[in-house]
Formats: sequence, structure tokens, C-alpha cells
Amino acid sequence: MELSSEQLLSLYRVMLIIRRSEEQLARSYAQGLIHGACHTYVGEEAVATGVCAHLRSSDMVFSTHRGHGHALAKGVHPRALIAELFGRETGVSHGRGGSMHLFAPEVGMMGTSGIVGPCILQAAGAAYAFKLKGTDNVGVAFFGDGASNNGAFHEGLNMAAAWDLPAVFVCENNLYATEIAYASVTRNPEVATKAAAYGMPGVAVDGNDVLAVYQAAGEAITRARAGKGPTLIECKTYRTRSHAEGMRDAGYRTVEEIEAWKQRDPITMFRKKLLEDEEAGEAELQAIETEVQTTVVESAQFAQNSPYPDGATATANVFSESTKT
Amino acid sequence: MAYEIVMPRLGWTMEEGIFVEWLKKDGDAVQVGDLLCAVEGDKAINEIESFESGILRIPPDAPPPGAKVKVGTLLGYILAVGEQLPMGKTKIAALNVQHATSEIQSPLTTADQATKRPADHPTISPRARRIAAELGVQWQAITGSGRTGRIVERDVRAAAAMQMQTEPRSELRVSPLARRRAEELGVDLRTLTEAGKRIEVADVEAAAKQNLTEPALSLPKGLKDLSGLQGIPLTNVRRVIAERMATSAHTAAAVTLTTEADATEFVRLRQAIVADLKDADVPAPSYNDLLTKLVAVALREHPTLNASLDDDQIIQHAAVHIGMAVDTERGLLVPVVHDVQAKSVQQIAAESARLIEQVRTNKIAADDLRGGTFTITNLGMYEIDAFTPIINLPQCAILGVGRIVAKQVVIDEDAETVAVRKMMALSLTFDHRIVDGAPAARFLQRIKRFVEHPFGWLTR
Amino acid sequence: MRELTFTAAAREALTEEMARDASIFVVGEGIGPRGGNFTTTQGLYELYGPMRLRDTPISERGFVGMCTGAAMAGARPVVDFMFVDFILDAMGELINQTAKMQYMSSGRIQMPIVLRGCIGIGKSAATHHSGSYYSIFANVPGLRVVVPTTPYDAKGLFKTAIRSDDPVIFLEHKLLLNNKGPVPEEEYLIPFGQANVARVGKDVTVVALAAMVPQALSAADELANEGVAVEVIDPRTVSPLDTDTILQSVHKTGRLLIVDETFMPCGIGAEIAAQVSDRGFDDLDAPIKRLNGAFAPTPYSPSLEAALVPDAQSIAQAIRDLLAE
Repeated sequence: MELSSEQLLSLYRVMLIIRRSEEQLARSYAQGLIHGACHTYVGEEAVATGVCAHLRSSDMVFSTHRGHGHALAKGVHPRALIAELFGRETGVSHGRGGSMHLFAPEVGMMGTSGIVGPCILQAAGAAYAFKLKGTDNVGVAFFGDGASNNGAFHEGLNMAAAWDLPAVFVCENNLYATEIAYASVTRNPEVATKAAAYGMPGVAVDGNDVLAVYQAAGEAITRARAGKGPTLIECKTYRTRSHAEGMRDAGYRTVEEIEAWKQRDPITMFRKKLLEDEEAGEAELQAIETEVQTTVVESAQFAQNSPYPDGATATANVFSESTKT
Repeated sequence: MAYEIVMPRLGWTMEEGIFVEWLKKDGDAVQVGDLLCAVEGDKAINEIESFESGILRIPPDAPPPGAKVKVGTLLGYILAVGEQLPMGKTKIAALNVQHATSEIQSPLTTADQATKRPADHPTISPRARRIAAELGVQWQAITGSGRTGRIVERDVRAAAAMQMQTEPRSELRVSPLARRRAEELGVDLRTLTEAGKRIEVADVEAAAKQNLTEPALSLPKGLKDLSGLQGIPLTNVRRVIAERMATSAHTAAAVTLTTEADATEFVRLRQAIVADLKDADVPAPSYNDLLTKLVAVALREHPTLNASLDDDQIIQHAAVHIGMAVDTERGLLVPVVHDVQAKSVQQIAAESARLIEQVRTNKIAADDLRGGTFTITNLGMYEIDAFTPIINLPQCAILGVGRIVAKQVVIDEDAETVAVRKMMALSLTFDHRIVDGAPAARFLQRIKRFVEHPFGWLTR
Repeated sequence: MRELTFTAAAREALTEEMARDASIFVVGEGIGPRGGNFTTTQGLYELYGPMRLRDTPISERGFVGMCTGAAMAGARPVVDFMFVDFILDAMGELINQTAKMQYMSSGRIQMPIVLRGCIGIGKSAATHHSGSYYSIFANVPGLRVVVPTTPYDAKGLFKTAIRSDDPVIFLEHKLLLNNKGPVPEEEYLIPFGQANVARVGKDVTVVALAAMVPQALSAADELANEGVAVEVIDPRTVSPLDTDTILQSVHKTGRLLIVDETFMPCGIGAEIAAQVSDRGFDDLDAPIKRLNGAFAPTPYSPSLEAALVPDAQSIAQAIRDLLAE
């Protein structure tokens, strides 16, 4: 798939929005502006960016506890993300969710989740609905290596393959399930090879190379839209911050390992490539960087100025209107 | 040894099935695995294999093909060569598939019983305490009949009845002004009576002052005069009627139209039907039954009246469910004849007879009291003409039917001829929030026409 | 009026609704060409084919999660568990995802899903096929819980369940499935939260659910011979619960017995008793009594099974005891 300069710069811009937003959230966490958990996506930006570049707002993304990047790449504004983590009414879930329950169905962001696994089943289910209704939309699940050891992975991939559902399963293999080394809890740490057990294609790509992710996702999504069934994509990547903000990031991985992955930073690598390939000049990239920085700072300001939700609304939307009595 | 072939259980929920047919004949040799017969369970027809080898014998009184039989019913035998049909077993009966229920002590869970309290420390149920207060009964002196010696409602009511029997009745005499002042000050007049004395304003005001200082739990004075003013507790039905009527009166924009219809033909029609059914074993339709049918036809032509208000939308109902106001011992109840549009007069008569019987004997099902889209109330038997019925919310309208009475009526204005005709008064109260005056008037006019010319609706 | 069995009435509701709305599909084990273990879908596969009558692998968690995703994407799934005991494998999906989705998305995503299965003790089904669990479900915000007794209720409530935008647990007692009763030809729906006064009486109120309703009615017949008029109330839905009708009855009778085949601790009887104590204290002429099935798993042997469950005799005795209070 050939990309225009405009498309390449768009990928760069989305990755940068994720990075700057996460850095802003990390700072805000330290300042006490975030009330609950905050799992950042720093280091994994190429995955969400490369996959979501192919998606329409009518395609549906189901995500994990580490889902800020997926929400931003799917079209959620940083303002709505940051306000949500600040617990404000203007947040993407009106302060009901926080980091792990980001919902923006209007752009096809069908939720991040506090539970590992269900997103796989829900993406298969959305795919079932698309097939039932005869649309060419796709359901996409993002999940970590840890989810591949969960029953939902087996049940979801099995059913999606059995019924040729238009789903794409994107495993972000960052080597650790929370703080347990993936290789220590499975005899087969090559996630992509597990696809064979379900009779579906499995692809492993460098998750820090946005173009590689873009390429693999494009093929899988085209295949799904054409009614040819699901694909498992394993993106080998790494988070360079701790599991969650404020947590001790030691005892399970080494400083050297972290440093080595930082040398393979997806944004730095892509920036270098854009300049080398003469797809963009330094001034052009700096303009994007300034614009993104301004957007994120303005978003944090917006979030901080937003009101908290009214306590009287805390029980709204437990049920729909249809069975109220 | 004779092997019994029985109706098999084909699934957990099956209790009986249909014996479809034999696939072998009486006297045929049968091998293990041969198909013996077909039976139909809950789901499908199944062919039954033989578990034994031998000769199939079908007793003469075995179930015939197509018979519905219980699981376990004997169908036939497989016998060894030369073996006779078992003696004394010619009568085909269902085997006992019911298992004996256990005689052991039931382990069902019930909460532990409260322990009996000492007699010098009587307890009273909350309800009995409330009723004692309502009836002015001093409960501390009552012996309770509850399991733990608790005073319960029946004890309080018995005590109240005793008081009424043993103490002379006397009318309260109260000046009108004193009565009004008592209401303003919240003074219970029963607490003020001294024998024979008329209560004046001063008595009320003095009592009000004293009430401020008296402890709340003190017993009412003058308990002996209770009988004269005893409050009748609201029954459940009365309470519902009270709420519904008040809500209707407060919320509906009720307007009543009245008219008079010449019911001579209508009366003749009913007499003819009654005469026709004289020997039949079915209830003859009442005027109400005929009106129910007639109104249903009119409602189908005027659907704006077959409507109800639900929050902020008007719902027009396709089906016509007509409620009939019935006076019962418990109070006014409105059983509903459902789907009148689809029923014949005869069906309506049978159903209304059942509903009235059940409502009067307190056996009516809840669903028979629900779902009305229109109500008819008839006070004709009490010699009432026009009246202003209250709308049975959320319905749109109610038809009040007055008496049918012979009157002198002008037949031809120009020829100045009069005749004696049977006239019926009709009142339609409708909710102006749902429908306007003109369409409601057209509807009532249609009913009037239908009463005067029954063929207009009989043919529909 | 014509008579149908409980199952046929519910099936007729499903058939009519599937004809009305093409986004309805059914999943379950053996619900396709086989027509369902309890004939819940008999004849529907021929009408609607495999996409709308989907035979599944034995992946209860998987297909509940999948149907949750399908509902999020605008389909209206019906999950047929055969025995509702199997739903326990999907409790995480059901409670964490299905039930909470509307709330988490602040009402932007609806969850029109029906989860049905047979419940109850009887027919030597033994302990993995005899559970009812409605008290557990009723404790979850976001779930509607329906327990019909008659064929009439089964059809009217099933239609409401299917049209509801909330997740509905529809529980069908195995001893009622073959019972016949009047069912009108024309369409009707029964709203949730409306109890049925199955018998009118003035002396004592008995609240019963599902298979306990016919037992309570026979007990009432027996007591009528002793001059006691028993009022029998069938709440029909456990969530929402029609406490008002129960309170009205207790206002009349002053005495309340709750008969529940399921366990006493933290059960629906405890909830009803607490609500009546709260709101109807001054109407009570005796302590509220409960009669429950024994607090034990369900045994196989008929003599053990029968000893476990209230019946007309034990109910009649409990009523006599209550009248003596």
C-alpha cells in the first residue's frame, strides 16, 4: 500500500497526539489531578495509529485497560480524554468511566475495559452484527499478550473463524502481562502462531514500525470487509513507562531492556524516516509538533476548567427508558 | 419371560405421548434392534427399537394407533416362543411412574420462630396498634390471641365490638360553629362529650389548649361515646376508588354531553332476542350487552374516542375493550369485556354474565379488571335520567346510560301528531384534553342513531 | 380462547418478533435445525436460516460476550442457554460487561439482549441442571429479571423482553414448560414490574414465583375449605419488583408469607420482607414469614428432590402457622 505524503504526516501527527497526551496525563497524575488509575500507551503508539488509519467511524474498536491511544487514534479529542481522567462532566464518558471505561460510540470507540479479554468477544459480536446486517464494517479488538492466555481469546477467535466474521484481532505483545513476563506463563510466546489453532491467518509485525502495522492491518481489514473472515495480528512492542502511573517499575524487567526499547522509539524512528525519504522537511514536522503541543496543553486547561458531574446524576442510565416502571 | 413394551419417556418434559402405529404385527418374530413401533413425543415422531428378541404380542385392549397415552403405559409384550400372554395382565394401565414422596422430616427452610414473651409484658402487632388507635381501643388491657400472646387485629376488633355492645349509643350534639372550630384546631369531638350536653365552641377551645399539654399517648376521654361517630376504615377497593376518582376529577378536562334517544326499536329488539332464547341454555343479552356491542361499532367509526392519554401522547387503540361499571359489596368495580369488536352479542352476553358473577363473588381475575379503552355505566335501574359520570382514566370517555321511560313525543311537527315512545337518556363525559367537543358530539349522535335504528349496527 | 403450552407461547412470541425485526438472532447449543432442547426454536431455522439461528460451540462465556458486542453494534440477540445453570460460566461477561454497558457509555449504547434458559428443581435434573439464581441476578443493577408462570405471561413478557433495550434474563421453570393455558391470538405485551394477583383473598397474602404459584393456588384451595381466603400474588418479574401490589395486599390482609423455591439467605423473599417492613409496617398483624427450598445443592433421587422443595401441603401448613401468629 502506497501512502501519500499527506497520509504519512497524518500517521506522524496521530502518534504525536497520543505521546503528548500521555505525557500530559503522566504529569497531571503526579499533580493529583487524576483520581484513579492511569495506564499509559507510551512506546506503543504505532499500533493504534497504524490500525485505526484504515477505520471508518462506523467500524468499531473494543479496547483494553491501556486504551488511551486507541481512543485518540479512533477520533476522540484529547480534551475529552483528559477531562475524563480528571473526572469531569465534559469527559468522553461524562466522568462515569475514567481511564478504563472510555466510550465514544459516535466515533466507533466502543469502550476501554477494566477486564482483560471481553473486548475480543465483543469485537467478534460486533462483526456478527455487521454480517447479519450485510454491511462491510469491521470489528477490531486491541488486547495485550496477557489476554491471549485468557479463555475469551480461545472462545472468541474460535467463533470468529468458524463463522467467517469480519473481525481483526490486534495483540499488542509488550512482553509483560501487568508485571508477569509473558514467556514465563506460556510455553508458546509467539502469539501469531496461535491463529493456526483456529484456522485463521496469523501475522507477526514490528509493532514499533507504524508502516509495518499499517500494511498488515490494511490487508486484514480488506480481507474482513470482503467477507473472508478474521485475522490475528501480533504487534511486537513495548511500553516504556510503568504498568500504571505511580507504580514501581522494577523487579520484573531491567533498566537495560527499557533503554534498548527506547532506542527503538516508534515516533523518533518514523520522524527520521520521513526526513530521510524526503516526505517532509524539518520545518513541516516542527509545525505539526507545535500544533499538537498547543492542542494538548489547551486540552488539559479545558479539562481543568470543566465542572465535575452533578452527584444527583450518579444513577442515570442504569436502565434504558424501555423498561422503566 | 415376558418383556413389557411401554410408552417411553422421550425427554424430560414428556408426560404423555401419542402411540402412532406398530411397525410389526401381532405374532411377528422380533430381533434386538428391530423397530417395533412409532410414538410421538413433545418434539417429533420416534421409532422405538426392541431391546429383546422374541415374539411380539399385542393384547386386544392395547392402545390403538393415534391414541394419546401416558408415559409408562403398557403397549405390548415380547414373549419367548410358546409363552402365553401373562395372566391377569390383560388390563392395560399406566405403570406407576410417580415416585413415592419421602416420608422423612422436611428440611425446608423457614426462619426460627419468635419465642413466647411473658404474659405481664403484652406485645401488639403494628397493625393491631394502628387499628386500636383508629377505633379508640385501650389495647393494654386486651389478652392477645397470637402464638406468642401477641395482640393482633382480631383481638382489637373483638374488644371494640364488646365496647359497642356494652355501652349505650348516644348521638353527639355539637353546635355547627363548634364543629368547624374543632376541624380547624384538630380536636376530636369524641373526646369532649359529657352525657347529654351539647358541645359549644368554648369546650372545643378548652380541649385544644389541654391537648397542647397532655402527653400524646394518653387515652381519649369519653371512650363510651365512641359508637356514635365510629369511623369506617377505608377498604382497599374504596381507597382505590377514592384515588382514581379524585385523580380523574383533578386531571381530566371533563365535559358532559347529554341527549335522549328513542329506544322503542331497541327495546323491541331485546324483547325479540329474549323471546327467541327463552328455551336456550345461554344467558339472554341485557340492555348493557347490546349497548356494549353498539358502542363498540360506534367506537370503530370514531377511533378518537377509543383512546387514552399516556404522558404526552394520545394512544388510539385498535381493539375495543369495554368496561362495565358494576356495583358490588366491595364497592364500584369495572370488569372489562375485551375485544368487543370481534365478539357477537351472544359472546358478549356470556362473558358479561361471567364477569358480573365473578366480580360480585369476589373471584374476578386481575386481568379481567384491566385494559379497558372505554366504559359504560348504567343507572337506569335506579330511575336516573342524565348524569355526569367520571372518566375512568386513562380512558378518553365514559357513556352514562339513564332509564328507559315511556314519554309522549312529537312525531310530526307539521301534522301535530304525537305518540308514546320509549325514551332513553344518554350522557357522554369525555376528556377535552384528548378530543374536542364536535367529534365527541358526533360520536354521541351516532350512538343515539344506533339506539333508534338497531339495524345500523346489527349489520356491522 | 385457544390454549398453548408455556413453551409454545414463548416460541410464538419469538417467531412473531423475529418476523417483525430482522436484527433479532438467536444463539445457543442445538437451537438451529434441532429446534432447541426444549423446542424453544422449533421450526425457526427453516424460516430464518443459520445467521439468525446460530448453533454455537460450548462457549457460554464466549457467546455471551459476543452477543454483548452484537447488541452494542445494533443487533438484538437472544441467548438460549437451555439450562440457565450454564450462564454461570459467563457471569463475568454478564455482570461486568452486559449489565454495565449502558451505564458505562452514559446511555449512548443500549443493550437489547435476552438471556433465556430453564430453571428450577424437578424431574431429577440434579444439581447442575436445577438452579434458578434469580435472586443473584436481581442484585445486579442493569439487569431485568423475568420469571413467568403461565403461558399467557410467557408470551406477553417475552415480547416485552425482546423489545426492551435492557438486558433481560428470562427464566422458564422446567415444571411449567408443558402447562397449557389460554393465550389470545392477537398481539399483547405485559409490562415489567406488574404483579399478577393470581387469586383474590382477604385473610393472608402469599407471594410466590414460577412453579410455586400453582402450588400456592392448591394450598389456597385447601384453605378455602377451612374458611380462609388466601390472596396469591405472582410478581412475574423480580427486577423490577412490583412491591406496590404486595403492599396493597398486605394492607388488606395484614399477613404475608413468601414462598420461594430458591435459597433463603439473601434471597428475593428477604428483599420483599424488608420492603414490606419498611413501607407497610403498620399493616402487619404478624411477622412476615418465608418458606424456602432447602439451603443445599439439588439431589437426584426423587425422594430427596421432593423433600427439598415447598409443595401445596407445606405451603398450606405455613399459612396455618402464620394465621396462628
